[in-house]
Amino acid sequence: MAAIEIRNLTKSFGAVRAVNDVSFTVAAGTVTGYLGPNGAGKTTTLRSLLGLVTPDSGQALVNGRRYADLVAPLTEVGAVLEATSFHPGRTARNHLRVLCTAAGLPDVRADESLDQVGLAGDAGKRVAGFSLGMRQRLALATALIGKPKILILDEPANGLDPAGIQWLRGFLRFLADDQGCAVLVSSHVLAEVEQTVDNVVIIAQGRMIRQGTLAELTSDGDRGVRVAGAEVQRLRARLEAAGATVESPESGVLLVHGAPPETVGQAALDEGVVLSELVRRRSDLERVFLELTGEPADAPPEGGGGVATAEAVPAVTETSGGAR
Amino acid sequence: MIRLVRAELQKVFTTRMVWGMLALSLGFTAIGLVALSILSGGQGAPSLSEPDGVRNLFSQAGSGLVFAFVIGTLLITGEYRFQTITHTFLVTPRRQRVVGAKLVACAIVGTFFGLAGIALAFAVGVPAMLIKGASLSLIGADVARVCAGTVAAMALYTILGLALGSLLRNQVAAIVVGIGWVYVLENLLVALLPSVGKWLPGGAAQAVYGVSSPLGGGYLPAWAGAALLIGYAALFATVASVTTIRRDIT
Repeated sequence: MAAIEIRNLTKSFGAVRAVNDVSFTVAAGTVTGYLGPNGAGKTTTLRSLLGLVTPDSGQALVNGRRYADLVAPLTEVGAVLEATSFHPGRTARNHLRVLCTAAGLPDVRADESLDQVGLAGDAGKRVAGFSLGMRQRLALATALIGKPKILILDEPANGLDPAGIQWLRGFLRFLADDQGCAVLVSSHVLAEVEQTVDNVVIIAQGRMIRQGTLAELTSDGDRGVRVAGAEVQRLRARLEAAGATVESPESGVLLVHGAPPETVGQAALDEGVVLSELVRRRSDLERVFLELTGEPADAPPEGGGGVATAEAVPAVTETSGGAR
Repeated sequence: MIRLVRAELQKVFTTRMVWGMLALSLGFTAIGLVALSILSGGQGAPSLSEPDGVRNLFSQAGSGLVFAFVIGTLLITGEYRFQTITHTFLVTPRRQRVVGAKLVACAIVGTFFGLAGIALAFAVGVPAMLIKGASLSLIGADVARVCAGTVAAMALYTILGLALGSLLRNQVAAIVVGIGWVYVLENLLVALLPSVGKWLPGGAAQAVYGVSSPLGGGYLPAWAGAALLIGYAALFATVASVTTIRRDIT
């Protein structure tokens, strides 16, 4: 049984079909990124999962049951929704204590959760004085209060500074890897989740567009092998003889299609050519995402240009091509 | 269920608003008490040596009704305004339990406001009677009834606030409508159209107090007033449940 299961979920608000026949699952110990542009239906899906929104048809289940049927929901599912959902006049600790009281958890869980998200020193402060980043951490603390094994987070990186985002990435991985949690995290900014997630579900205009592992999705965007070096032109004949298509977007650079990097490396060895660069280029998730969701990409995909990412160092975005 | 009521009370008492409202409520009571103490025995105001005068004096305990109403309103509209309703329903996805807990919490908070008003009424009223040379033996069954009515009315108005807040969800709108009703419309109807006014919550509360109507119109008997108040509470509770349980929280 999957920790989270969404089956043919459909929900309309008036004439607007917010979510249209969406299905996916999230297993324990994995992080799934739920991605889509603003207004794609991510929040509606997550709120259906949490019993806050009643779907028109289909099912949204946690541990095989509807959220409303859970006996002690906070101990099974933790959720982070809006960053602003706190009464400004109440202190961080009191916010959590109200939840502890209602859920029948010991009061000490309030301070433990605050400590876990790095807010121990701010427990007695009113939320009115909190920055957006602190509110996000407090929201995360509310999700952790019952030590749940399922976490559902809606745009948790909003308002976090770069250090906060990095912390969040590590924290989500910790929850999945060390605690065995199933984590479902939505975002409209791919860079936030790209390094964190195992699986990706992409949604646009209420419809599910793609589901798969991160590797599956990015391998769709295989865009050849890029090889650079002063005398790299000498490889051309040998590569073409091996059946590859070769183009030269600029001097000292070849783009090789239809041959694996090993073939190119072998050719360089045979020819005795010094290489300064040899990478398999693949689209990063950002480009795949923009293409799939029908958003206009910021640069034409052909001509060796655009935003491509080297396989060996996925975090580094290559911009030296034709992006100019 | 008890822990849900405790959580709702915690929500009320972990913000400063409740103390502000209590201070305003007691302030209104204090003004009424002092004014009646000074004016009693003068033109049109029964003396503190008469049962009517004593009853009127102690009925000031409930003059801050509207602030109890506001606290009831805030208990639900604050949840919508600050989106804490999300947390509330995540902890307790069975929403009728949340509504039930809020109703009980409102009754408790209203009772608290009523008791505070009564304490103040005694603190000011007893010395005032002594100064005026009135006998404390006048504090009898009438005053007990006034006190019971005050507590009932405070609890009811807090629940009324919750119901109106559930219906409107917008904090400002609910408070404006509520104050407009309590201070203007209802007062006008009770005073000018007593045949209608006596059936309103305010008229029913007055019936329980047993205070004489300013224009001489009759109120319901006390028991009928009490029954009517309970009926209103049930009606408001239903409004609060129906408007809260099915709604999508987006």
